[in-house]
Amino acid sequence: MQYTFELEGQALIVTLRGELDLHTSPEFKEKLTRLFEAHLDITNLIIDVKGLSFVDSSGLGVILGRYRELQERGGRLFFVEANPQIKRILQMSGFQKISEFASSTADVIERI
Amino acid sequence: MTSKNWIKLEIPSDTRNVAFARTAVALFASQLDWTLDELEDIKVAVSEAVSNSVIHGYALQEGLVIMEVSYHGSELRIVVEDFGKGIADIEAAQEVGYTSIPEERMGLGFTFMHEYMDEVMVASELERGTKITMIKRVRELES
Repeated sequence: MQYTFELEGQALIVTLRGELDLHTSPEFKEKLTRLFEAHLDITNLIIDVKGLSFVDSSGLGVILGRYRELQERGGRLFFVEANPQIKRILQMSGFQKISEFASSTADVIERI
Repeated sequence: MTSKNWIKLEIPSDTRNVAFARTAVALFASQLDWTLDELEDIKVAVSEAVSNSVIHGYALQEGLVIMEVSYHGSELRIVVEDFGKGIADIEAAQEVGYTSIPEERMGLGFTFMHEYMDEVMVASELERGTKITMIKRVRELES
């Protein structure tokens, strides 16, 4: 599992590559949480899932946890380049109600 | 060639083995004629069942997870068994959003298993363990 973080104004852009599951999600959660704590001005979370080959409820739980923080900050959650399988599991988990899907990070940056 | 086959895997309840379990099962299952999406469905279901054993059955402590995977004709059967603490209320545990660790988990493990497999049966006894049986059938292509 690889991930990169990039701050762009009040947006945190996270790029995920590999498989996010019970084994890989704790470290990802820790890093993401630390960034949220260090940058209280983060109001938009943009997750590029183009390279995400697998995710289950363990991985989605980490993202949902950060969404709750975003909500408190009045922010928004975006998923970029979700393939059909990832989109399906996101929709099944209810993420389509609380997040927005986009075709590129640049597209989201333009929107926010 | 016979239309049935089986494998049995015994793995320690280590988080690292969740990926191994789903990949091994998908590799075995690929002897049947699934679409790529269906194989992904099987991987998610196995990941959830094994994660359930590791987190809830053994509370991330050492334990044994036994998996028996078989098919007969077009029916794939996956059994994931642990000998951990068991589930107190099986019906409640399978409800959407149910979790015994609300700050960490989404409570969607069983929901995904039910969604991605055709049948899911759960047998559990407190302090003795849990056995999850999941069945998925290859769809006949319409001609």
